[in-house]
Amino acid sequence: MPSVRLNINGEDQVVDAPAGMPLLWVLRDFLGLTGTKYGCGIGVCGSCTVHVAGRAVRSCSIAVEKVTGPVTTIEGLSANGDHPVQLAWLAENVSQCGYCQPGQVMTAAALLAAHPRPDDAAIDAAMSGVLCRCGTYQRIRLAIQRAADRP
Amino acid sequence: MTTEMTRRDFIKATTLTGGGLLVTFYLAGCGPATPTTTTGPRTTPAATGPGAAVTPDPGDPSATIRPNLFVLIDGSGGITVTASRSEMGQGVHTAIAMIVAEELDAEWDQVRIVRAPADRALGDQVTGGSASISSMYDRLRRAGAAARQVLIDAAARTWAVEPDACRTEPGIVVHPDGELRLTYGQLVSAGIPDEDIRVNRVEPWKDPAQFRIIGTPMPLRDAPDHVRGATLYTNDLTLPGMRYAAIARCPTFGGRVLGYDRAAALAVPGVTDVAEVDGGVAVVADHTWAALQGREALAAVWDLGSLAGVTSEEIRQGLVDSTPAVGTDSISASYDIPYLAHAALEPMCAVADVRSDRCEVWAPSQDAQGFQTAVQQITRLPREAVVIHIPPIGGKFGRGLYVDAVPEAVLLSLQLGAPVKLMWTRDDDMRHDRYHAMSRYQATAPASGLEVPRVREILATSPIPTGSWRSVRNHPTAFARESLIDELAVARGMDPLRLRLDIVGVEARRVIELAAAESGWGDPLPTGWGRGIAYHATFGVTHVAEIAEVSVDGGRIRVHRVVCAIDCGTVVNPDTVRAQMEGGIVFGLTAALKDGITVSDGAVVQSNFDDYRLLPFDEMPEVEVHIVPSSARPTGVGEMGVPPIAPAVANAVFDATGVRLRSLPLRL
Ligand code: FES
Ligand code: FES
Repeated sequence: MPSVRLNINGEDQVVDAPAGMPLLWVLRDFLGLTGTKYGCGIGVCGSCTVHVAGRAVRSCSIAVEKVTGPVTTIEGLSANGDHPVQLAWLAENVSQCGYCQPGQVMTAAALLAAHPRPDDAAIDAAMSGVLCRCGTYQRIRLAIQRAADRP
Repeated sequence: MTTEMTRRDFIKATTLTGGGLLVTFYLAGCGPATPTTTTGPRTTPAATGPGAAVTPDPGDPSATIRPNLFVLIDGSGGITVTASRSEMGQGVHTAIAMIVAEELDAEWDQVRIVRAPADRALGDQVTGGSASISSMYDRLRRAGAAARQVLIDAAARTWAVEPDACRTEPGIVVHPDGELRLTYGQLVSAGIPDEDIRVNRVEPWKDPAQFRIIGTPMPLRDAPDHVRGATLYTNDLTLPGMRYAAIARCPTFGGRVLGYDRAAALAVPGVTDVAEVDGGVAVVADHTWAALQGREALAAVWDLGSLAGVTSEEIRQGLVDSTPAVGTDSISASYDIPYLAHAALEPMCAVADVRSDRCEVWAPSQDAQGFQTAVQQITRLPREAVVIHIPPIGGKFGRGLYVDAVPEAVLLSLQLGAPVKLMWTRDDDMRHDRYHAMSRYQATAPASGLEVPRVREILATSPIPTGSWRSVRNHPTAFARESLIDELAVARGMDPLRLRLDIVGVEARRVIELAAAESGWGDPLPTGWGRGIAYHATFGVTHVAEIAEVSVDGGRIRVHRVVCAIDCGTVVNPDTVRAQMEGGIVFGLTAALKDGITVSDGAVVQSNFDDYRLLPFDEMPEVEVHIVPSSARPTGVGEMGVPPIAPAVANAVFDATGVRLRSLPLRL
């Protein structure tokens, strides 16, 4: 099995993974980083979103050997769960079942890193592919606006 | 954080404290818990004067009392509340703890929640019908009040005063002189003998006017873990030696496998076993991806069975209107809904560990005891040897009432002699659901007079499995009845709001009037927009009115704003009520606007979120929720936001276009 070098949440890792294995399963089954969720496996729900070199990437749809930059998962977004997006999520009581929320948080964090003051259209564009069956969208928008307002 | 003690925690807890009381009771399967204590010899607690620091409590956390099944208090003042219903995002665990903490007069920050496994001693654990809080409200209040009485009695004995002359402040018993006080932690640390814990005498319950926790918006306890990715759902669990399984399933219901390439599956690196199971072929591997690759490699060929060739169109032909037994002065219309999937973001899954003398299962179940029975029947183990754990659930909406994935995982674990994690892929979940039935609802009312339309359900014989879906029949019933009321209003040349107010009862009137006032009913809307109202009492208990404002542009229906008013009796957690209304509206909008499930050649056509679409973020309307203040018993909120939204939108579309849409999804 080929060895793949990865940098995950600031740590260098070497994993033996079959070619073509999606990053999602490497994170979940090999590295125990289960915060990244499986929702669809085909890139249409956003539950598996991580950052690769700071950009939001669907980890179910990228083969591990194709990962070229450092990976940040929900576990590595902040040291103590105190990233402005995480704090805003708590302040707005966004979460219901919570299953989609790691993907929502990672997508929003990448959006704000690229556009610190996104308008509604930019928020729509970034968030519309991340599904929530519990229907937390209204609060997600409020939380993103709250996080964006932080100095 | 909500926790359930695991075997590992048990060992840890036992080592650390020598106690492990909770775990002993649950995991060793000792049957119903009896009140018990792990305290040492009784000593007289030192009294604390007023204003003395009570946090952190200088107590002994290993000392505990368990006044009843729902409450455990430790010597540091920590309160552990046992939550016996399943948490799937509807906020029930937080609400259960709030009710107990209220009557116990606990500091909310000191309250910890543990998830109960299946346990008959806890009473009914089915989490459905939006009934967890309404059915447990009195029992939980009594549990909290009885625990408070134990502490008051202990303090009164210490002070040699009458218990009734003492009172409590959060976490503290106060002496009749108002000066001396003992914290709950101090009282427990000092030791309360068993015989003093079995208190049957319960002080009168708190006057609701004194509530300081019930009625206050509280964040869900699991939320901090959710946003850190720290919540462990079923599919996130790992047991030592655990195998990963995926099942190739016949696309039709009731078909069977004709052949498959076992060698090809076993040739996938990481695949270790291939096993035929009910309705399919399981591939077992070292990790999920290998199991999925192995499943592909099987290239299974199926005998589609008796459903081959069946289509949803054909099934729909079975929906035949009955001739309403009414005269010409009646108005009647039929309203159709398609099959609908639950489509929770967390697909079905189960972890099973079957041993010769016991079996543990972890599953996103809404029916812990029902699952226990099912597993018991497979394993033939005694009930207490079958432990069903319910990890946090990633939404279920009724799907979790059905055991499906669990017998599969149990049988595989039995066969392999190892713990097994069985993940259903999205495809499995979408194509092997128990769907909301395709159905027709016929509504009838006298053309004049003040009568609420009667609604009849017309079902086709469904060859594909159907089951409970968030709000069950209330969703189509409301669509039919509330659409027909609008049609009546049009026929009579009346404002549909006016007609509703004329025909409904007093509770309905209250929410309808509130929603109308808050939405600005009658205020002008932009050209091309329309406004529609609907009201429904889901399960006859919770009254909800919703008013939708929509625009129609080139056949595209867009919902801009929804104003919701709800009367659910006493509100335990107002933020949960709002969240459940928001979420229910989104769930109902998906059913109103997005395509349902169809069947072709005996199989469900849709297989993922690309062809079974959920309402996306950029179609979220602005939702306002207004709660009618009430001191009546709590009723329920989990499903109640769903039913009124489809008819409210259909009625708004009529208002905008003059076109009456009588089937879902709404298509112009
Ligand atoms: S699991 Fe990757 S987008 Fe859905
Ligand atoms: S919070 Fe449950 S799916 Fe989003």
